[in-house]
Amino acid sequence: MTLTKYIEISKISVYNSLAYLLDFFSGSLFIGLIIFVFIQLWNVVYGPSAGLIEGYTINMMVWYLVLTEAIVTSPGKILEEIGDEIKTGNIAQNLNKPYNYVGFKYASSMARTLLRFLITFGVGSLVAYVFLGGLEVKFLTLPIILVSVFLALTLHFLIMVLLGILVFWLEDASATYFIYQKIVFVLGGMLMPLEIFPTWLEKISAALPFSYIAYHPAKLFVNFQWSNVSEVLLKQLMWIMIMIVIVTIVYQICIRKISLNGG
Amino acid sequence: MVAIISIKNLTKEFKTRRKEAGLKGSIKSIFSPSYKLTKAVDNVSFTIKKGEVIGFIGPNGAGKSTTIKMMSGILFPSKGKMDVFGYNPQKQRKDLSFHIGTVFGQKPQLWYHLPAIDTYNLFSKIYELDEKSYRSRLDYLVKLFEVEEIIFQPVRKLSLGQRMRCEIIASLLHGPKVLFLDEPTIGLDLIAKKKIRELLKRLNENEKVTIVLTSHDMDDVEQICNRLIIINEGKIVYDGSTKDIREKYLKYKVIKVTLERQVTSLGLNLLGVKTIENEKYTQTLEVDTSKQPVQKVISQILSKHKISDITVLDPPIEEIIERIFKKEL
Repeated sequence: MTLTKYIEISKISVYNSLAYLLDFFSGSLFIGLIIFVFIQLWNVVYGPSAGLIEGYTINMMVWYLVLTEAIVTSPGKILEEIGDEIKTGNIAQNLNKPYNYVGFKYASSMARTLLRFLITFGVGSLVAYVFLGGLEVKFLTLPIILVSVFLALTLHFLIMVLLGILVFWLEDASATYFIYQKIVFVLGGMLMPLEIFPTWLEKISAALPFSYIAYHPAKLFVNFQWSNVSEVLLKQLMWIMIMIVIVTIVYQICIRKISLNGG
Repeated sequence: MVAIISIKNLTKEFKTRRKEAGLKGSIKSIFSPSYKLTKAVDNVSFTIKKGEVIGFIGPNGAGKSTTIKMMSGILFPSKGKMDVFGYNPQKQRKDLSFHIGTVFGQKPQLWYHLPAIDTYNLFSKIYELDEKSYRSRLDYLVKLFEVEEIIFQPVRKLSLGQRMRCEIIASLLHGPKVLFLDEPTIGLDLIAKKKIRELLKRLNENEKVTIVLTSHDMDDVEQICNRLIIINEGKIVYDGSTKDIREKYLKYKVIKVTLERQVTSLGLNLLGVKTIENEKYTQTLEVDTSKQPVQKVISQILSKHKISDITVLDPPIEEIIERIFKKEL
């Protein structure tokens, strides 16, 4: 019974976003342009010999970006949404309903996110395929990569929820989002694989949770190694658990403050 | 009848941050923030019985909404005891949510881009209703609120009055015993207001749902509530039947006349009529309707003067409160 609630929430959230198709998917179309520009850029970097950079061929490098870009941009404005609801006190609406607020948000945003991920990834793949070429992937590995992507999106969601709740103290949602986004771009390895960094920075970045949103799942995608699978998935699960604990605690404190002191 | 809600010595204090003007003040408030305590609700006690329709009325910032929010479990009180059907709203808000419905005039719960029916279906799942009873409940409410067509149109395309009717249905699907409404008629035009009032009245008569609403519109309360709680500056100023208030304090009407020519006095000389304001062309009169029918006053003004505008008003809620204070009820 409880699960049906959240499934229904996901469904209605998708219908609601589909009311304005163009608005919903316009972000997804933008990825085409980005991939196109990066193909030109990497072409210059790799030069005519087109060898390997840190173990990546140019095709791997671009397809890596297709996946990280799709993961990172699909969730949309969760952080701002939650920050807004907390600042305006609209969150109160959700407090006396028989569901969990974070669960409600997860259900409603995950459905939208997955839908947008499919479109974004599709557009990105198309551009990469047409202007550069394909990537060698074993079909058997795809389900594992999908699981890893799903976990990455969940972790991404949880961190944004946490930051959204922190807006209660930080005050400015869009600045918080801006900083977080840049951290994921660079330290999360969205723009390029972490191997390109100096070793010390690569090591730090690879250990941080942000790289489990972009770098690790994308590396699994372009350079699948059975030896990495369990470590990546387990670490993703670990970070998700840690974030759930932190979000729960911070959420309770925040809601208590709101309930005591108004929105 | 038994009390279903009892509130004892309820107090709510808000801490607000104070900041002195200018950059110096900003820096100072970072290092040593100073807070100001405001009492939004101050030692309020009352009980509500099953089937009552209660209006909380008072000027803006009087503490009406805060009281309703505490009863529905959204805000926690600073002090005091609350019992809503045996639940403590502060500790059991999820359990309580199955028994109450809330409508906040300024915070819609319907999904904006979808027809209301989609939100209803979702709510039926959220409140764990079984399909059959939900269908018959929905049919009944849709007929009662006369929204048969409207619920299939996207909410964003509805008028404010239609939207409010749909909002109220959303809060009634799970058959709550109490309906809390915070400013349900805010921003509505007269006809839409009237409609909402009628519906709430019918709902109360048909289902014996207890209704607690806030408003700063005296008309709202006068027409649907059998009991009135007037709140001012966090304190209950009056708690009693609406009839009493009407007889004691609403027997006054205010007439505002704008004349075509300037006169020093209207020269009415009628019992129970007092001039309270006298500006160039506009005179404001107060009529004690127990002594003098409004009709007679108007017809006399019309027969003596050429007027360009005339309006009849109820005295504003602030004035009623002031009167109550003066008579120390």
